[in-house]
Formats: sequence, C-alpha cells, structure tokens
Amino acid sequence: MRRLAVIVWFLLVTGCGEEDRTPAMQVQVDQVMGGEPGSGFARAMAPRTFRFPVDHGPHTEYATEWWYLTGNLETERGRRFGYQFTLFRIGLQPEMPASDSGWRTGQLYMGHIAITDIAGGMHVSSERLARAALGLAGANANPLAVWLESWSLKGEGEPFPIHVQAEGDDFGLSLELESGNKPVILQGDGGLSRKSASPGNASYYYSLTRLPTRGTLRLGGASYRVSGDSWLDREWSSSALDSDQSGWDWFALQLADNRELMFYRLRDRDGRMHPFSRGSLVGADGGFRVLEPAELRLEPVRYWRAADGTRYPVEWRLHVPAEGLDLRVRAVLDDQLMEHTVRYWEGAVDVTGSHAGRGYLEMSGYSGSAARE
Amino acid sequence: MRHLLRHRWQGFLALTGIALGVAVILAVELANQASRAAFQLAAARLQGEATHRLIQPGGALSEALYVQLKREPGCPPMAPVVTDWVRLSGQAGRYRLVGVDLFAEAPFRGQLAAVAQQSAMMRDFIIEPGALVLDAGTAGELDVRVGDRLMIDYPDRGLSLRLLGIDSTGNARSRDLLIVDVATAQEVLGMPGRLTHIDLILDAGDESWLAKRLPVDVELVTVTEQAAGMTRMSAAFEMNLTAMSLLALLVGTFLIFNAMNFSVLQRRTLLGRLRAVGLTPRELFRLMLGEALIIGMAGTLAGLLLGILLSQGLTRLVAATISELYYHTSVNALHLDGLALLKAGGLGIAATLLATLIPARLAANTPPLTTMSRVVLEQAAHGRLWRVSGIGLMLLVTGLVVALVVPGGVITGFTGLFLLVIGSAMVTPVAIHGLHRLLVSRPLPLLWRMGVRDLDRHLSRLGIAVAALMVALSAGVGVGVMVDSMRGAVNTWLSELLTADVYLASAAHEDGAVLDPKVIREVSASPAVRAVSRYRQGGVQLSGRQVGLIGAHLSTSSRRGFALLSGDEAAVWEGFDRGGLLISEPLAYHLGLERGDLLALPTAAGPVGFTVSGIFRDYASEHGRIFMEETAYREHWSGAGVSSLALFATGGDVAGMRRALGDLLTGHQGLVITSAGAILEESMAVFDRTFRVTGVLRILLLIVAFIGVFGALMALQLERSKEYAVLRALGMMRAQIAALIGGESLVMGLVAACIAVPSGLLMAWLLIESVQRRAFGWTMSFEVQPWLILQVILVGMGAAVLAALYPAWRSSARDPAPRLRED
Repeated sequence: MRRLAVIVWFLLVTGCGEEDRTPAMQVQVDQVMGGEPGSGFARAMAPRTFRFPVDHGPHTEYATEWWYLTGNLETERGRRFGYQFTLFRIGLQPEMPASDSGWRTGQLYMGHIAITDIAGGMHVSSERLARAALGLAGANANPLAVWLESWSLKGEGEPFPIHVQAEGDDFGLSLELESGNKPVILQGDGGLSRKSASPGNASYYYSLTRLPTRGTLRLGGASYRVSGDSWLDREWSSSALDSDQSGWDWFALQLADNRELMFYRLRDRDGRMHPFSRGSLVGADGGFRVLEPAELRLEPVRYWRAADGTRYPVEWRLHVPAEGLDLRVRAVLDDQLMEHTVRYWEGAVDVTGSHAGRGYLEMSGYSGSAARE
Repeated sequence: MRHLLRHRWQGFLALTGIALGVAVILAVELANQASRAAFQLAAARLQGEATHRLIQPGGALSEALYVQLKREPGCPPMAPVVTDWVRLSGQAGRYRLVGVDLFAEAPFRGQLAAVAQQSAMMRDFIIEPGALVLDAGTAGELDVRVGDRLMIDYPDRGLSLRLLGIDSTGNARSRDLLIVDVATAQEVLGMPGRLTHIDLILDAGDESWLAKRLPVDVELVTVTEQAAGMTRMSAAFEMNLTAMSLLALLVGTFLIFNAMNFSVLQRRTLLGRLRAVGLTPRELFRLMLGEALIIGMAGTLAGLLLGILLSQGLTRLVAATISELYYHTSVNALHLDGLALLKAGGLGIAATLLATLIPARLAANTPPLTTMSRVVLEQAAHGRLWRVSGIGLMLLVTGLVVALVVPGGVITGFTGLFLLVIGSAMVTPVAIHGLHRLLVSRPLPLLWRMGVRDLDRHLSRLGIAVAALMVALSAGVGVGVMVDSMRGAVNTWLSELLTADVYLASAAHEDGAVLDPKVIREVSASPAVRAVSRYRQGGVQLSGRQVGLIGAHLSTSSRRGFALLSGDEAAVWEGFDRGGLLISEPLAYHLGLERGDLLALPTAAGPVGFTVSGIFRDYASEHGRIFMEETAYREHWSGAGVSSLALFATGGDVAGMRRALGDLLTGHQGLVITSAGAILEESMAVFDRTFRVTGVLRILLLIVAFIGVFGALMALQLERSKEYAVLRALGMMRAQIAALIGGESLVMGLVAACIAVPSGLLMAWLLIESVQRRAFGWTMSFEVQPWLILQVILVGMGAAVLAALYPAWRSSARDPAPRLRED
C-alpha cells in the first residue's frame, strides 16, 4: 500500500506540473506517477540482510518509508470495526546545511488514521503532516518509536508489544499489538520488492501479517473495547513508479484458516495487470511463497461511484487455482475513501467464497479513469 | 433659482462653499477608511481563521511550548508564527515578513498555505533558506518575477530571499506580506528558538484544556482583542483628522449661509413683490428652502466628486503617517464606501438647509412693504447683531467650560472646541461694528473712512464672509500652535532624556530581542566607558492598553534625563531603588494614579502591587510606560536579558569610546550603535512627517475660506456697481475705486485675522489642554512662534486682497454710463 508516500514524495520533490493547482495540495494519484527520483538518496538495488529490531526503525538514507497498520477488530458482542493507521516518512533532502533554526529539516512525516464503523455505516479519517524537527515528528529504532505530534507507534519491548495511539476530530484509537506467531515476511526477493524492470526501481519491503490486537476505539461520544488482528507493512525506497503504471489494487487478506494473502496488482495505462505485480501467500505454519501474476485471476465485480464521479471496484473475485482459492472480496462499506493530501480508497473487506476471512484493500489511480469512461 | 443662475458669482459662491466642505469631509473620511481597511485586510490575511493567539507580553514565545502542546492529545488547531517588519533593499516602506509552518497552516490561512503548497514549490519552500512566496499584489508592487532575489535590509544581516512562487489567486490588494517558512523567518530575524505568537482556533472547552498547560507568563488573547488594540492606537489620530474635516464643513456652512443670505437681500424687491401679490410667508419660506435644496444637492454632488479626487492624495498621506506611527499600511486602491458618501452628502445638504433657515425666515416673515426697503433690513441686521454676538459669547464660554471642566473623553474636548469656534465666529460681526465705531471718528483719509463705513453698512453680507475667513485662520493658528508646542515639547523631552553619548541595542525590531551577555560584560568593563545604563524592554497589558514595562539599571546621568512631574527628586529615586515604579504621565492620567499609589502589575506569579514612586513626562507612548529597577524586574519577570545599553564616554571622549566599541564589537552580529543626536534627529523627522497631513488640511481650509471671501466680495461689488457708477460719475478715479474696494477687503482680512489670532490661540490652548490631554494624557507647555501669528495675519489679509483683485478690476473698469442709465 503504501506507495502513497512515494506520491507525496513526488509531490514535494519533483512537483507535478502546472495543471495541478488544486488547493491544499490534494491531487489525484495518477497525475504524479512519472518523474525522476530525488538525488542523494540511497536506492534499493540488491537484496540486503535485515536486522531486527533495528530495521523496524527509520532508514533516513532512503527517500520514503512507511509504517502501515491496518486491522479488523470487534467488540466482545461482535460489533465490527476496521482501522488504518499509517505514518509516512518523507525525505526532501538527505543532508541539510546547518541552520540557526530548529525548524529547518529535510524530513517530513505524514500520518493517516481512519476508522470504519461497519454497524454504523460510517468511515472517518484524518490526516496530519509535520516536519521531523524539534520533536514534532520523528522515529527511533531502539526502542521503536515513530510519532507525529500526538500520534504514535511505540514498541515497549523489542519491539513488541507495540502501542498505537492516535486521534482525529471526534474519534481515536489506543491499541496494543502482540507479535503473534507469524514470522517477519520478507516480500519479493528476500525483502527486495522490484516495481519495474529498471534497476533500483524497487523497495525493501517486509510484512508482519497477523498481529493480535486489543485496545479501545473512540467514535462519536462512545468508546469500544475491541480485539482482533492487525497487519503491519514496512517499506522503504527511493524509487518511482514507471511511466506505464497508472495505479494499483493492493490486497492484504487474513483468511480464517490462518493463512494470509498479499497481492498488489499494478495497473498499466490500459488498466491491465502489469508484469511486476506481485504477492505472497503465508501458510498457517509461517512458511510462505511468492505469487506471480500468471498464477491468479483478479476481476472487479461491482463498482461504487464516488461523489466526484470516480468509480472504484468495491467487490472482487480473486482466483488462485493452484492454491484452491476462489475468493469473493467485498468492501464492508462502499465509501471508505481517503480524501486528504492524496486521494485513495482504503478500507476493510470481507472475504467469502472458497475461504472466509477479513482484510484490507487499497485502490489508487482511478480518478482519471472516470473521465475516460 | 433663475436668480442664482443670473447672478453667477453668488451661485458659484454657494456651490463652492458646499462643494468644498463636503469634499474635505469626504476625503478625510475616505482616507481614514482606506488606511483602516488596508490594515484590516492585512490583519485578516494574517489572522486567517484564528480565534485566539498565544503571546508572551513583552517578548517572544519559546517554540518548545508549541511542540509540547502539539504533542498532547486533544490539542486544538494551532499554528506557529514568526513575524516582524523588514525593509527591502531599494524599496521604500516596510514589509511584513511572515514565517509559517505549512503543515499547521491549512485550518488557519488555507489560501496562503495553498500557494506554498502548490506541489512544485512545497519542497523548496521548506528546505531552501530564503525561499519566498508573494501575493500577486505584492509581487506586482515589487515588480519581481519567480526566481528573482530580494535583499532584506536587516541590520548586520544581508540576507536574500528567492521568489519561489506568486499567489495569483490571492487578494490583489494585500501588498506587504512576504511569506516564508518558519525556519527562514527565524534565520532572517535572528529569532532561533522563538515564536512571535501561536495562532489558535478554539472551541468551547479548548480554553480550559489550554489554561492548564500554559506557563504563567504566556497570555491567551482573542484576535479581536489584539486587533482592537491596534485600531485603538490610531483612533486618536483619525479623530484629529475628522475634526479638521468638520471644521472645513463649518466654514462651508458659513459660506452657504452667506450666499443664501445674500440672495435674500438682493432679491428683496422681488420677494416684496411676491408677498404683495399674495404669496404667504409659508409659501415664500418653502420657495427659499426648495431653492436651497437644489443648490445644496448640486453643490453636494460636486463636492462628492471633488472629495473622491482629493481623497486619493490624502489617503497616501494618512497611510504614510499611520505606517510611521502605528502599524504598516500600504494603501493603493481607492476605497469607495457608500456609507461615507451618504454621510458626507447628507451633511452637505443638511448644512445647506440649516444655513438657509434664517435667511428664508427673514425673507418670509418681513411684511411686503418693508421687504422693499433695504435700509430697514440693514437696521434689523444691526439690531440682531447684539443678540447674535450675545449668543456667540455664550457659546464661546460654554465651549471653554465643556472642554476644560466637563469630564469625558476626546469627544467632549472636541465639542468644546467647536462651540468655541462657532461662538467666536458669531462674535465676528460685532467686532467689525466695533472697529467701525472706533475708526469712524478718527481723522483717517476719506477713502479709508469710506471703506470702514461700507463694511459696517454691509455687515449683514460681509460679516459672514469675514467670519468664515476668521474660522479658517483661527484653525490655522490653533493647529499650528498646537503642532509647534508639541514639537517643542518632544524636542525638549528627547534632548533631556538622551543624556548618554551612545546607545547600543540589538538590531532586531521586535520586542524581546536581547543583547549577548558577553557584549554587555565587555562593554561595561571597557575603560573608555565611564558609565552604563541597562534597559530591558518588556510590556504588560493594563486595562486594555499595551503598556511598556522597562526594567532598567540607571546611571546617575541617565536619571537626570527624567523630567519628574511631582515629588522630591531624591525621594523619587530612593523609592525607585527600593523597587518602586516610575510611570509616565499618560499612564498616570489614564489610570488616575498619583505618587504613592499602588499599581498592580501582572507577573509570572499573579498580580503584584507596586508603589508608584514617581511620574515623569513622556511622549514615547500614548499608552504609557513604566520604569522599574532591574533587580526588581528580574524578580517578577522571567526575561533576564538586556535589550539596550546607554553608554557614557570617559572624560567626554565620545570618539575614543566609539573606537573602543568598534574594536570590542567586531564579530558580534546584530548590534546597532546610535548616537543621541541621531536618535533625536530621526525622531523629529518622524514627527514632522506625521504632521504633514495636518499642514495639508490647513491649506485646504484656507482655500475654502479664500473662495468664500472672494465670492462675498464679488457679489457685493456687483450689487454695488451702480453705486460705483455714481462715484465715478461724481469724479472718482478708477484707481480710487479700486483702492476703495481693495481697502475694504484689506480691512476685512485684518479684522478676520485680528479675531482669528486670539480665537486660534484659545483653540490651541484647548487642543493642548483638553483634546490632547484627553486623547493621549500628556501635557505640554504652550509655545507660540511669533512668525506663525504674523503668517496668519498676512495670509488673511493677502487672501482678502487677492479675493478683491478681480472685483476691483471689474468694477473700476466698467463704463459708468450704462449703469446709471438703467434707472
């Protein structure tokens, strides 16, 4: 998911041309897809050795990085919620000249929080941006701490349990995440996730696919004791999408049989699956394998039309014949649109079909397509 | 109406009177409004959606407070602001450099933030030192394009800003904002670690959230409170201008009255006939009023147009003064306000009708037969003379009493002033009569005697013109003497206060900038320096006023500079050393404080009462200043630094001390060394610039009066053309007739000036004793420059003679025969 930070980074570093004069810098994803990555930052060229807990912390030599948490939670009485809590690190410039001012920095943080109240049919979200200066925002490896003003993700141990704390205008969350029994999944080629054929156009990407979670959600005046599973994606890179890629559909599904499926479909300009789309399937025992585009079929089943006319596929069929998976993935709520600095759809989904499950889906790059249809 | 058309001069006189009066009123009103609007626009753009502000009175906030608050859950929207006025190389005027944090801006100044957030700019805006964004209006005024560099003239800091982008969507009328990142602002202004203020958007409940977390010396104010403080600052200044414009309307009203009066007198035959053919007094009255209404409207319309033209120049002057004295405004667009137009127009028409009431009643109420007779009319006028003068005298005295005795604010002061002016104007005709009485029995040349007698004979027409001239002249004297007195007082006060040889201060403009302690130590230890006084500039809010609070260590020589208003000097300073306060005269006046009283000041630990040990004369701030011994100040306020030093040279060797300072201070940034002379010079230059607008208004007033005298004379001479023809026929030379007319005018001017001088002095006295004191709380000695008086007399007589030139030439040039043949 997750490539949002790349987009923000693009916005900041390369700009996106004259046509983008929208106030409050809200942009559509596919408008900012091209361009050269910023100079001076390290590139993800080859597989590396991951070291934990150090690698849970920041990698400021790379331009962008994120801590991407999503999860499906419920109260004891079965009231269901989805949540997203994301902190992006955005490097504007690797080295900054000395300054008298503590505000001068080359690093920013952007945070998104969202809660989907399935019973209430409501999706609320909020965004924050702050510079990594004066302690307004920042990240440490050991002990793990990533924070943006009052929003934080902090490791009490190494790093688990992890405490997450964030709030929006009329909602908030306070969660504690345990490590569970799944290993760290190094995505792609031992953690090197290539996004296109050009060398260096890749990221380091690992996932923690099932983190037992409990805590409190606050929504409206009420507060709910909840528990469930979260999914943490970690990715850092200095790369850009290729010009022939227009958006993606990113699935993170936790199946009831204790398997987890991740798949991102990169779409080319014609809406077809790009050959560098990838995924992974984590077994109940923690073993996992890469999913290639050829192994699966992915079809939109139903669309939802947003207020601006953009159509988002909110129901999918995901078919992996070799694994016996024929899944129906359905948004728990059609409108889980994140309308902030970058506009995208991110929301909780239900899995039915050959296997049951829950998960999160992210879709981007659809705004332009509405105009074309 | 046709009558006025036929008698062009009279119509012109009436029209000009109204038009000029209305024009000056409108121009002043528009100028005031334009500068106010410009200020509000800039303030609104700066304030954005903020409802509250965190400030540290007398200093700058620590940025750590901002970070601490921001990191707490439940923190309301808040945005840091680092701002100060700067000058740009090669540009006149000052600009407001505003440093903002884009990420905190969106709820506050979405528009402003959006410019910098245009993606192409955002990165550079944040990481590039000196990156700048401008409104389209500002960019246009500075004539810069994207990529251009602007040099900031900040003392000892030659910093350049690079224009990243222009907000073409922004308000084109905002012309003085330089928008930079908060980091750039801190770098440019030398304010690392500090914020000018923190903007907030507070809902119910947020205030208590905040209150629990604020350090005691940080204050939460609403933006309206702050803006009100700013606008209140210039209210007194605007009031002065408005008063001047009302004086102009008063003179205008005199002119209208004069013109209408004239037209009644001249048409006495016609009016008598109308009455004789059966027109009732009521009908006649209505006829006259209707006529006045038409003239009033025409004159008002012309006045409004003229006023709009006039306001353009005046606006610039007023804006310049306000920028110099209070806050920066840059006004350029013509500010056309419907209400102001309506107000000025209404005043014009109302004044016309008011001025017509008496002449109209006069015309309507005289029986048909006597209407025909002019002698009777003049006799009646003479009869009324005493009554009018009596009322005038009464008004004059009432004015004095109101201004000096009745408690109240500036309005009361001005009311008294206006009563005085109207009173003395009403006394004017009787003064002419007196002069006539005085001169008629003297062995004067025939022509002179004729002139004086003519004046008396035509008192009902000329009296008012003379009164109008008198009002204009006396306003000139009054305002002139007041400005001179003030200038003298400020000059004396400053030269006494600036006892030190050299002053050393931080170059930063804003409050709270402090000197490096190392600099203070080194300078104090230098053998070239005999004595040092230290000042810490702070401020407190006292009953809605931003009062300067200065913690000072004063050397004996510095103490001598204070003009103490009461108490034994030794006792005052003893009290000061024990922690007592020295308060300035305006503060003492506004708060009604005397020596020995207790004054509670807000300190970090809550309000603390201090004894007022002395009151000193001070024109530095109309809101007041408080001096307190350094140690006492540090006990109660956190600011330990020193803002400025006053240095006294050993053995009076100022050049030697400056050399020693130069050696000591090389390598130290952001210091300004100024001599007392330079400060005095600069202050007086500011003073003179401030009162330039008053000078302009004085001239305008005089022009109004001049036209009045000219019109009155013109009308009179035309009416008397037959009389002149008789004189010519009797053998009088042309030159003699011209001399007669000229002499009459000269006497008019002289009479006007003679009354204007005492009445103007009285007015100045009231301005100083009542208006200034009520508005600013300061007193000053009355200072009269003889040349000013002489100038007024000469101007009055000159104006009168000048006004007589054309009528004299015309009347004397006429061939008498046709005039005589008319009968």
